[in-house]
Amino acid sequence: MSVILPLLFLLTAISGSAVVLVRDPIRQVFAIAINGLVLTILFDALQAPDVALSELAVGSAAVPLLFLVALMAVRTQPPGAEP
Amino acid sequence: MSVLPYAVAAWLFGIGLYGIATSRNFIHLVGCLGVCQSATYVLLLGLGYRWGSIAPIFYDHPPGTPAVDPVMQALVLTDIVVGATLTALLLVLTVQAYKRGGSLDPEKLRPMRAGDKPGQSRGSSQVSDGGRQAS
Repeated sequence: MSVILPLLFLLTAISGSAVVLVRDPIRQVFAIAINGLVLTILFDALQAPDVALSELAVGSAAVPLLFLVALMAVRTQPPGAEP
Repeated sequence: MSVLPYAVAAWLFGIGLYGIATSRNFIHLVGCLGVCQSATYVLLLGLGYRWGSIAPIFYDHPPGTPAVDPVMQALVLTDIVVGATLTALLLVLTVQAYKRGGSLDPEKLRPMRAGDKPGQSRGSSQVSDGGRQAS
């Protein structure tokens, strides 16, 4: 137990860095989802199961879907067109 | 708890700020802001954690068992919901900026001028023609 918590903290730092360093927004969506999963495991290890549940729903499902919707709107809409 | 949660929170906040400062795409920038916000989750839960404690659910434990701080968990729960709302709002603003400005690059975004674009988007050609002649 005293080994897995520092390991999860380091994994959180690595996956957060991956979200920033992946410059392509389409690939960044996957990095955001993986970051949400890592944060979920970290919160569960930190004895916060309710926070882990909401992070699983929001951070690894809802927010990447929002990013996908925004990317789709940007891709299908030519710039300067009428909404 | 050791110094590791604070170090990880500072690292996440710093690299999120670096991503915001160097981003060339608004959607990527919103993702970097999410990383900044995950630093606050790690910081708050690291503050409330105690070694060898149970989760603050006393269904199958007697009352008085050492538990981690439930106030911090309520704060983090609020933080996650606010973060999702902020992400949605900023993505909508990004799509609107792309429609108006024609680019997702912050460097290429034109400044907004009064009475120029809104007349065009309203659909009346006379107003926009008048605005163009005036400018």
